[in-house]
Amino acid sequence: MVPYIRAQNVNLTFRPKNRDPVTALQGLSLEVGRGEFLSLVGPSGCGKSTFLNVLLGLLRPDQGEIHLDGKKISGPGYERAMVFQEFGLLPWRTVLANVELGMELKGVPASIRRERASELINLVGLTGFEHHYPHELSGGMKQRVGLARALATDPEVLLMDEPFAALDAQTRDLMQAELLQIWDRTKKTVIFVTHSIEEAAYLSDRVVVVTSRPGRAKKLIDIKLPRPRDYEMRLTPEFNDIKATIWNSLKDELISRGIGDGR
Amino acid sequence: MGVKRIYEEYQRPILGLISLIGLVAVWEFTVTYVIEFNPFFFTKPSHIATATKELLLGDRLWRDLAISSRAFLWGFTTAVIVGIPMGAVMGWRTRVEYTLDPFFTALYASPLVALAPLIILIFGVGLTGKAVLVFLLAVFPFIFNTYTGVKSTDQLLINVVRAFGGKERHLYVNVILPSTLPFIVAGARLAIGRGIVGVIVGEFYAASEGIGFAIAHFGDTYRLPEMFVGIIILSIIAVLLTEALRKFELIIAPYRAEMETR
Amino acid sequence: MTGVVNFYRERESHILGIGFIVLFLVVWEIIPLWVSLPRGVSLFFTTPSKIAAKFYQLMAAGTIQEHFYVSAWEFVVGLGLSIAVGLPFGLILGRSRTMDALLDPYVTALNATPRLVWLPLLIIWFGIGIWSKIMIVFLGAVFPLLINTYAGVKNVDRVLINMVRSFGAREWHVMKIVVLPYSVPYIVAGLRLAIGRAVLGVVVGEFFGATKGLGAMMAIAASAFQVDVVFVGVAIFMGISLIFTLTVKKIESNLTRWRPEQVKTF
Ligand SMILES: Nc1ncnc2c1ncn2[C@@H]1O[C@H](COP(=O)(O)OP(=O)(O)O)[C@@H](O)[C@H]1O
Ligand SMILES: [Mg+2]
Repeated sequence: MVPYIRAQNVNLTFRPKNRDPVTALQGLSLEVGRGEFLSLVGPSGCGKSTFLNVLLGLLRPDQGEIHLDGKKISGPGYERAMVFQEFGLLPWRTVLANVELGMELKGVPASIRRERASELINLVGLTGFEHHYPHELSGGMKQRVGLARALATDPEVLLMDEPFAALDAQTRDLMQAELLQIWDRTKKTVIFVTHSIEEAAYLSDRVVVVTSRPGRAKKLIDIKLPRPRDYEMRLTPEFNDIKATIWNSLKDELISRGIGDGR
Repeated sequence: MGVKRIYEEYQRPILGLISLIGLVAVWEFTVTYVIEFNPFFFTKPSHIATATKELLLGDRLWRDLAISSRAFLWGFTTAVIVGIPMGAVMGWRTRVEYTLDPFFTALYASPLVALAPLIILIFGVGLTGKAVLVFLLAVFPFIFNTYTGVKSTDQLLINVVRAFGGKERHLYVNVILPSTLPFIVAGARLAIGRGIVGVIVGEFYAASEGIGFAIAHFGDTYRLPEMFVGIIILSIIAVLLTEALRKFELIIAPYRAEMETR
Repeated sequence: MTGVVNFYRERESHILGIGFIVLFLVVWEIIPLWVSLPRGVSLFFTTPSKIAAKFYQLMAAGTIQEHFYVSAWEFVVGLGLSIAVGLPFGLILGRSRTMDALLDPYVTALNATPRLVWLPLLIIWFGIGIWSKIMIVFLGAVFPLLINTYAGVKNVDRVLINMVRSFGAREWHVMKIVVLPYSVPYIVAGLRLAIGRAVLGVVVGEFFGATKGLGAMMAIAASAFQVDVVFVGVAIFMGISLIFTLTVKKIESNLTRWRPEQVKTF
């Protein structure tokens, strides 16, 4: 069977002015199935965001290509949408207008836009906050807006770049549970970048450990925990074994890079 | 590779230089071969170059510059001596702040050059009149920037120094001065521009010497190349002074680079 | 008694601030009653009440209105031109590195030097009528607008640009949806500076070789030793500048509704 997303031997080097070039990705190959929930974990600065930006079509690899549903990715497209770590909300737009943004650029008529945005705001549990500005929301609420905006254009693939990293631990747990519910309901393919082994293990069908820079898929770990998953599952020995497996693979990369170093 | 690499590194200054040279070349070429011009209304680079040589070799220009500089320095120094302490007191003592802030704000917001005719009338067209004008224009950036700097000193840092048993003296030297200095330097940069305005207006208005007078006089007598020389020299001085202060700002407070406003 | 103390405590800043200004005016007013000024000084001396009386007299005669229209016209046209030029150029220089590098020497040099030095040249080119004043107003006001717009564009959050790009936005959309709204607080701050420079341009422009306008009125009065007329001019310019500054500050604080942190500009 042809995989839904297939990255073959992707290389990407940044050549910033007045500084040495940085090879962010080298020989990265990866296959993702339709409807799969896949997490990437790796030391910071190893190229995870870079890879997501390549998938999103904002960066072009120097070598190698990525196919989605058999078609080569050559730029942004509505079948993919990103949820950003720093939320990326327009501060001068209300929640409603922020959620509408993608549809606006897609050319969806205003009335349909409004209706669909309201639905999604309801889905992420923000009904009543439509006319609030981002700075009036908590971090968790902001990221719900980010999620609603990404879902609004009805993409096939959700790219999530450390979406919950800026949230406090409890909000994070809550958001994870809700993300699983939404994923279950919408059947999107999710590629999820995280620093948290626990988060990766809890959410994913598969976890990819990425090597320290230049980034490459080092190890694929299947998470054979039953779904739907609940919070108690995190307290089981099986869950701990999975975490240990991921940690063991990741450890060497952190050490080779020097823990704490990295951007 | 080598050339390309150099170009990439210095792209900005290279493009800037190209554009300057290009402008001069196009200007010279156009008025020489394409459009004839009336020398009373326009001039060209080669004439300006000749005028530059003559003026630089003569001593009139240097005397004008010296005279303007003296007025500027007197006014500017007084502004420093008065403005910084005044701003510091306003930042440090709330009552003083409450008392003086509205008055100074009103003065700072209004175009004080409007006082020029009066000041020249009172203090005369010589050094004093111009220096007073420079002082009046340059003092407020010092007052307000010192005041803002002292006020925006991080209270947390003050508490940290106190918690470690620091004395008042330590506070001034280690916390308040370093966090205020960048503001003062930024104020100085504004004050330079305003001070030059003071000198120029004073000399345009009524004077018989000084660089402002020279520019106005060349204008009145339709000697455009000489007038351009005056303007260019003044621009060079202004650019050097402001850029030097900007560099200085970056040196004393690199972390404050975001304060960057031209 | 505590009532009075509380009243004072709550309004201390206003009482002290307004009190000082009142005190200043009162002292100014009664100085000639206290000390007899030497002749040389009394020639240049006037008092707030005399200035107010003069103001009233000039208003009644329509003199102020007549000069005011000319000045206002120069201000409006010059500022309008500078907005029309400053904003687009600020946007372009902010988004295009090449254009920025090509024009940087001129922007830096022109901005560092008080634009007033161009006045004699502008008078030669545009005559002593209102156009040389409009041009000096324009030259003064255009750079704060251009540079602040530029700073706004340069500071735009990269994440926001990437975000709209990821939805397939073209450069034009990036401008409209992110860059321009993001720059608005900077532009307004630039406008506040530009207004100050424009007023300066009007005043100084009219000092030289003009017969109409408030600046001309002051210059002519000064040469005739009519000190109170000069102060009437000063007071008008002060009042106008304060009104403008406060209005734009108000706009600025309204803009921060969606933007808690203040834009820093001096
Ligand atoms: N636009 C860029 N220019 C130069 N270097 C970059 C750029 N973006 C990322 N990098 C570098 O590429 C490497 C990978 O970055 P990134 O993909 O953001 O890592 P992470 O895995 O933490 O998301 C880092 O060393 C980073 O400094
Ligand atoms: Mg990242």
